[in-house]
Amino acid sequence: MADEVAVTVRYFAAAAEAAGRDEEVLEIEPTAAALRRVLAERYGAPMTRVLEVGSLLVDGVVTRDPDRPIRSKVDVLPPFAGG
Amino acid sequence: MTDVRPDLRFARQAALPGFGREGQRRLAAARVVVVGAGGLGSAVLPVLVAAGVGEVVVVDGDVVDETNLHRQTLHSADDVGRPKADSAVASLEPHAAPGALVRGVGLMLDASTAPQVLAGATLLVDATDSLPVRYLLDDAAAAAGIPLVWGSATGYAGQVGVAAAPGPRWRDLFPVEPAEDAVATCAVSGVLPSLCTTIGGLMATEVLKLLSGVGRPLVGRVLVVDALSATVREIEYLPADPPGPTGTETRMTDDHDVTVEEVSDLITDGADVQLVDVREPWEAEIASLPGSTLIPLGSLESRAGELDKDRPVIAYCHGGVRSADAAERLRAAGFDARSMKGGIDRWSRRVDPSVPRY
Repeated sequence: MADEVAVTVRYFAAAAEAAGRDEEVLEIEPTAAALRRVLAERYGAPMTRVLEVGSLLVDGVVTRDPDRPIRSKVDVLPPFAGG
Repeated sequence: MTDVRPDLRFARQAALPGFGREGQRRLAAARVVVVGAGGLGSAVLPVLVAAGVGEVVVVDGDVVDETNLHRQTLHSADDVGRPKADSAVASLEPHAAPGALVRGVGLMLDASTAPQVLAGATLLVDATDSLPVRYLLDDAAAAAGIPLVWGSATGYAGQVGVAAAPGPRWRDLFPVEPAEDAVATCAVSGVLPSLCTTIGGLMATEVLKLLSGVGRPLVGRVLVVDALSATVREIEYLPADPPGPTGTETRMTDDHDVTVEEVSDLITDGADVQLVDVREPWEAEIASLPGSTLIPLGSLESRAGELDKDRPVIAYCHGGVRSADAAERLRAAGFDARSMKGGIDRWSRRVDPSVPRY
């Protein structure tokens, strides 16, 4: 297992509601899969739903590759609709 | 009614640095298709019409409902039950500049209606609450090589962004289209009316910037507005991994292409060719080839008359996709037209490195 690093995670819209905050720094193994695990454990079903339909922007790139390494920041955002 | 003098009507925006009469002329030459005459449309549309956009097409297949009235200020209580496209046009027409058109299309946009509704557009605006429409417009904008300005407002939060080549698209932000019931809409979650005004205002600003060529468009960035905390956050993003299904620069080459080296030789030899830049004004501001005429792809049909049919045309864009489309359309119209393969980006790499890349 890779060493844990400090990753800045920003939450948007429903992701922010699920996390109860806009942003935090997590000490995690720096992969997309590890982040998904940590977020689901911490914030339960509301966050799991966001992760199912939303995007993980890993250092500015939307990725569905669970092994993609994280350098320093991740944005969690659900799709946007409504007008 | 008093006569409106065009020079006075637009004086305060023509006075803006970088905007000027040329910016106004670009607005007047544009055909902007706005899909959705709801809360966002009620904020975007009056701005575009009053600012002098030459043709504004309002697309909405819905009818006015009483629950719309708190935020959809294009419509009033008398309009309940009336098609939104009709009601919107009636509200907007008094604000149009002389000679400018406001047209209503009472259709739900889908894959079958899109080609006829979007034909000839300079720029698309997604002011709907529909994700399927967002994906449809993103694909249509990428295929036509024109920008898409999109926005959303739900609850107390809204988002706005621009998809324009060569920047990333909507599909780069959300590569997989979610099931329709997986996403909250304001029908379920409610929406703060003034949030529609905020987001629609940001969208209108992006449209005016893209058309006039001023400023740095909201490409590769999303603004997320939280009304409750009165904060705006920016999300920067790059092309997704892997890229979206269309809009990539992998079109088959054919005899109608010309290389950057050949174009360079033609210019050096003083050949009698017409060099046509089919990109958007903001791209031409960054870098363009000397002696070229800027005709953005979306206005190609309406402005083809500016070109001489007796002289060969070479079209170019950023990477060679839009120009291949333009050359094909010009050939169909009877021109001897070819496309510069690889676009100005390849020109910069192979011919003249002093031309900035973007």
